[in-house]
Amino acid sequence: MPLDTKDKVAHLLRRAGFAARPEEIEQGVAKGLPALVDDLVNFEKFPDNLGPLPNAPAQNGIPPNTSYLDLTTQQYFSVYGSLLNDMQRLWLNAMITTTRPLQEKMVLFWHGLFATSGADLDLRHMYLQNEHFRGNFDPNTGRLGRLAATHPFPVGNFRNILENLSKDIAMLFYLDNFLNVKLNADVGSNENYARELLELFSLGVNDPITGEPNYTEVDVRQASRALTGWTVLFERDDRLIRQFFFNSSAHDFGPYRVLNRSFSGDGRQLFDIIVNHRNPGQQQSACGRFLGYRLFKFFGYDDPEPEVINDLADTFDGVHGGDRYNIRAMLRRIFTPGNPTSEAFYSDKAFKAHIKSPTEYIVSTFRLLRPTGLANSQLVTQVVLGLRTFSGMIQMGQYLFFPPNVAGWKEGLDWINTSFNLARCNFANTMATLVQPAQGGIDVHSLLQANGLLTNGQLAPAERVVDFFTTLLLQAPVSAQTRQTLINYMNAPGGSTDMINMKVRGLLHLIMTMPEFQLS
Amino acid sequence: MNKTTRREFIKKSGFTMLTVGLSQQAFFRSMNMAASGALTQAAALSANDRIFVVVQLEGGNDGLNTVVPRGGSLRSLYEQYRKPTLRIPVADLLPINNDAANNQLGFHPQWTHIKSLYDQRKVGVIQSVGYPNPNYSHFRSMDIWHTANPVGYDTTGWLGDTLDLAEPSNTNPLIAAAIGGSLPLSFVARETTVPAIGNIATYRFQTDTRYPADAQNRINAFIALNQEGAPLRVLVEQIRRTNLDAFASQETLQAGRARYDDGTYPQPPPTYNQANPLARAMQQAAQIIAGNLGTKILHVMLGGFDTHEGQATANKPLEGFHALLLGWVSEAIHTFLQDMKRMGKDDKVLLMTWSEFGRKAPENGNYGTDHGAAAPLFVIGNSVKGGVFGEHPSLRKSDLYPDTDAMKHTIDFRQVYATILEKWLAVDSAEVLGRRFELIPFL
Repeated sequence: MPLDTKDKVAHLLRRAGFAARPEEIEQGVAKGLPALVDDLVNFEKFPDNLGPLPNAPAQNGIPPNTSYLDLTTQQYFSVYGSLLNDMQRLWLNAMITTTRPLQEKMVLFWHGLFATSGADLDLRHMYLQNEHFRGNFDPNTGRLGRLAATHPFPVGNFRNILENLSKDIAMLFYLDNFLNVKLNADVGSNENYARELLELFSLGVNDPITGEPNYTEVDVRQASRALTGWTVLFERDDRLIRQFFFNSSAHDFGPYRVLNRSFSGDGRQLFDIIVNHRNPGQQQSACGRFLGYRLFKFFGYDDPEPEVINDLADTFDGVHGGDRYNIRAMLRRIFTPGNPTSEAFYSDKAFKAHIKSPTEYIVSTFRLLRPTGLANSQLVTQVVLGLRTFSGMIQMGQYLFFPPNVAGWKEGLDWINTSFNLARCNFANTMATLVQPAQGGIDVHSLLQANGLLTNGQLAPAERVVDFFTTLLLQAPVSAQTRQTLINYMNAPGGSTDMINMKVRGLLHLIMTMPEFQLS
Repeated sequence: MNKTTRREFIKKSGFTMLTVGLSQQAFFRSMNMAASGALTQAAALSANDRIFVVVQLEGGNDGLNTVVPRGGSLRSLYEQYRKPTLRIPVADLLPINNDAANNQLGFHPQWTHIKSLYDQRKVGVIQSVGYPNPNYSHFRSMDIWHTANPVGYDTTGWLGDTLDLAEPSNTNPLIAAAIGGSLPLSFVARETTVPAIGNIATYRFQTDTRYPADAQNRINAFIALNQEGAPLRVLVEQIRRTNLDAFASQETLQAGRARYDDGTYPQPPPTYNQANPLARAMQQAAQIIAGNLGTKILHVMLGGFDTHEGQATANKPLEGFHALLLGWVSEAIHTFLQDMKRMGKDDKVLLMTWSEFGRKAPENGNYGTDHGAAAPLFVIGNSVKGGVFGEHPSLRKSDLYPDTDAMKHTIDFRQVYATILEKWLAVDSAEVLGRRFELIPFL
């Protein structure tokens, strides 16, 4: 059954962003799908409302108003917990409050695709990387600043994204390329980054359609030579390293041979070769197919058809006009009605068939129910992350800045197991029953009042309360049986007359455990 | 919740896991299962009270520095590849028996506990384990080990297939368990849901403690929401089924866990080093075993073996990250087996370690090693016929893979799986693995 306009708008808002609130759906329908896509994809037309990283707490001899980035290593370790908390809260808040949802969705995408972990790194490099993925950090200069039009992240030229990634400070440390120096005519001193560059970041072990291998072990070793001397600029004193450095004395100038192309020089040609590589007999680039597969998997569904992968690869290769290797063009292709890829995106197969990641689960909860405490309450941050309750993001399997390994999080059905599901159920309980709005709790009273469900202290009948919250949270009617189960719960005596805190919050808990709320 | 109802519901709802992309091998497996009287097999696995504990060493353990050449020409070749930076001196090795080719070998010096178990003939060292055409990607190679399929892409794992085969009408939500938040692909099955247990203490379904009298209402509603109705999307059904299994397994687990230290067994339990992540995981495994919950298979893991740099501290080959990790493995297994002895279950437990690959023969230029292929694995338990099985991989340049300098395998990892399936779990290995493999006489 084809989706109607309202469903399409809600679907787009959920996928290109994090949630679809009733008024956003209404506005989207009035505006029309093409205009809504344009707003999402050309997000620079909206002001950036991202907050800055707070300063370090003035403790352990740290002067007031000192940036975390200016701390000595010893000072950094003394406020590690506080920094981690501030970084995670800043990022979550960015996703919850952003006026540029697709920009934030892409930061999350790159964090999952180009995974590095705070477990092995200075957290400040993770912060710089997060801003790098957002387009707000330049590893060539070490400067933080707002998005320049030429910055490849988050939606620009993928060839340049790969070059920037190879200069990213966190990445240089995480996959050891900062140590990679000229060794011999066979291999650099460390192949770790070169391998993952081909395997995880640009081509994949096998082509997603034909299954044929995309590269050989010789390609890995030769690529590691091309990347020798790509390192960080070491600081003379204890200042934070934040700049890329090309160490020509440690660099092997070639010639090397990668993916059947010989080249030499500073190594940058490697990225041109990667994005242009075609396997024998294939019309599309291997990199275009890899990205088409990964992007559609992230925004659409888990097993995109070959036609969809190839259509997106054609966009990447410039076949549909416009710049080649352009991520924004691929996103536009997915979301703009009237082509084979967007037909798949707006299909019944795609509708409500994406399992929310823990981040999407939590951010959608916050965008729909609007507790406001995350910015100012330690308590709710601990609840969300799972530091106090043992049921937040950590226990759901996605701790921001700490992917499990270089392949990032396994998504889709891998978010569903007994442990992760219990964590979602228990987060739902804790979050729904956190009473004080000042501590970050959901303001159920105001929600009920504003929607005519609480007048003169009198709660509306269970049917109306159930209908309101299921519609708000699921953007679709529930089955008659589900509706009746929830109504029965509301009406079952529970030993207290505080219907709002016991039953309405209990209802929120239950809806948030429902399979339908795990899907977007 | 009534478990029979739960399983009946799942069966009645007509739900089976995603069959999309199910490999031909898995298809034939399921056809074979249907044809071959799986009930007989089930009786075999249910009738014994053996436990199989899988210990995954994630990242690619450097086998060459775990079982190390101690003399002869193999030692000379070892010293060509491993410079003084990573080279373990002969004097520090813990000697074990010579292999079938009479190579002199020794354990890494951190393996004192494993060496002591070895001396009690409780450790089988299986040499040169791998598979043809090795894949050097962590993730592809892990999937190969998880699915026991080096050529195709399966959606279910070898342990999950074993459970489906041997326990087709299982109603025990804790028939197996993975310790850790994520469920390893090994345990993914078409019929059986295996719980992942991150932390036993918090593995429970919570309700609002301020309204205890409403708790049962919420639980009833939760179960009804997950049991109800005509099947919707496959995904909805999958989440419902997992929700119900989560609820059932937390009930069972919390009831059983108390036996660990309530006096059922001699007290106190041994002390697990809480700084050792593998010890913490194995402690949780022991707590599940203590419950006598009918748990047959447990999976624990330790990460960090991807030692591209810092494998050893500069010019101190006995120190560094690999030494730390191996020390953790030795300590955790030792404490766990002490605990099993305390419970009188040490004859009932078999451990097997695995890692997705070994590392290259030559070290790289950063006190580390890059991805390789064949490596030893270890089976441990009172029932193991201890000793060295097979031969250490050849280190002659001409015997290494030419593009990678990785060592070649001589024992297929599925031979180890087949041996455990046949001799420990009493399951027809050909039905799980798709064909027969030559067994290794460690059981």
